[in-house]
Amino acid sequence: MRVGIIGVGCSKFGVRDDVTLQELAFEAVKEAVEDAGISKEDIEMSVVGTAGTRSYELMPAVPINEYCGFAGKGPIRVEAACATGSAAVYTAYSTIKSGIADIVIAIGIEKMNEVDTPTSLAVGGRSGSYLWEFHQYGTTFPGYYAMHASAHMARYGTTEKQLAMVAVKNHRNAAKNPKAQFQKEITLEKALSSRYVAYPLRLFDCSAITDGSAAAILASEEKIKELGLKDKAVWIEGIGYSSDTANLSKRVDYVGLKATVEASRMAYKMAKIDDPVKQLDVAALHDCFTIAEIMAYEDLGFCKKGEGGKFIENGDSDFGGKIPVNTFGGLKAKGHPLGATGVGMVYEIVKQLRGEAGELQVDLKNYKGLTHNIGGTGHFGWVFILGV
Amino acid sequence: MESRTFVLKHKLPIARVEKYWKGLEEGKVYGTVCKICGAKYYPPQVDCSKCFNSEVEWVEISGEGTIECFTQLHSFPQGFEFVGKPYTIAVAKFGDFKVMGWYEGEIPKVGEKVRIKTGKDETGVWKVYFEPVG
Repeated sequence: MRVGIIGVGCSKFGVRDDVTLQELAFEAVKEAVEDAGISKEDIEMSVVGTAGTRSYELMPAVPINEYCGFAGKGPIRVEAACATGSAAVYTAYSTIKSGIADIVIAIGIEKMNEVDTPTSLAVGGRSGSYLWEFHQYGTTFPGYYAMHASAHMARYGTTEKQLAMVAVKNHRNAAKNPKAQFQKEITLEKALSSRYVAYPLRLFDCSAITDGSAAAILASEEKIKELGLKDKAVWIEGIGYSSDTANLSKRVDYVGLKATVEASRMAYKMAKIDDPVKQLDVAALHDCFTIAEIMAYEDLGFCKKGEGGKFIENGDSDFGGKIPVNTFGGLKAKGHPLGATGVGMVYEIVKQLRGEAGELQVDLKNYKGLTHNIGGTGHFGWVFILGV
Repeated sequence: MESRTFVLKHKLPIARVEKYWKGLEEGKVYGTVCKICGAKYYPPQVDCSKCFNSEVEWVEISGEGTIECFTQLHSFPQGFEFVGKPYTIAVAKFGDFKVMGWYEGEIPKVGEKVRIKTGKDETGVWKVYFEPVG
């Protein structure tokens, strides 16, 4: 029995001081229900993915469920740091696969701007292994990825310019995405002259602090047939997951993410993908920092290890390249509201595979796409293959 | 509007790894080795994740290490405003152990040799420092 996605929704990403957490969730949920063309009452269970802590609502699943009209239907609250959204989609998928429910909604949401930047940095920095990392050394999330950048640059000669090229590409795509946090292009010079946040990463190497929500409605194949939604459904053809140690000092190296390698292998096997670049039309990768997108090209097998810098430089990940990556602007420019990010990636790939991406539409040959969602620095790893 | 103030300050239960924290005060950095299967741990832990026994030997990590990765932070998290200037975090390899620490100096290089030492910051928290060799 297959599981398909029948409806998706996504709020405007950015600084959303205009809404509460509940109101923000409502935007994506309403769009997803209308997109599916079903009644809200048809949804049997709700999964709420939110990393939490940065919002005043500390146990937000029930308030969100109440506001969206799902009281009594779940909720299951899931957390997997920045990969929370993918864990929510997986939970919805598993609930359907188990036969417990036929239609489940995965809601991903984060309000990160209710606290100030030093607090937000501390929440991120405390998300590794608190006692041995943050408590002693004041780690931050940009810092964790910067450490990987330092190792990747030293081993493979990856340059600051190559990192900046990822930001330029993703801003160029976000400029055409009305839901993106930053709907503006940037120049290479601007990126390369911005201040260091965590050396060697500069301001424009980092995703911003974002509020946003996204929702996906999943259903069993039988239900999809019954509802007459077969032509609209996008199927989940592959799922892969992995994780790594909490403590960075227990990692083998710092030039890639083992969680990406292992999750992609599992997803490729399930979806029968041997050559991702040839068999996929589009990919949404976890570019919380520019180095993350470069490492992902390599770890997902889009290019050889160490050649990620060349991959962006050659335009291989741009429209018209080998495989367009982060067509809606990526975490970098579309925004990275932690819980919403993984569901937002699913939203992007569903829109692409249905041919509804407007100015940002990719050419469809295989009608397959990939999402790659990382929590922490490879502390969680999720890969989905979607297809029609 | 603003929410009511909500202060979170946690107790840190360090009883089983007290030797580590005492060691820092004596200028020593300890890791642990499982007496049954030989698995090595830094940060130290007293339960073996590999063989599920809880008999470990405490071993000192010392001498020269090699920097594997680093960053210098220019945006500070809440709780580290006291440093007042960019600080550098590195992971260095000492034999079978990798250790996180603060690098004493500006921008290190991956592959650079460092010496391990301990010290206390202005807030009284003991930690590992890396001193450039030579």
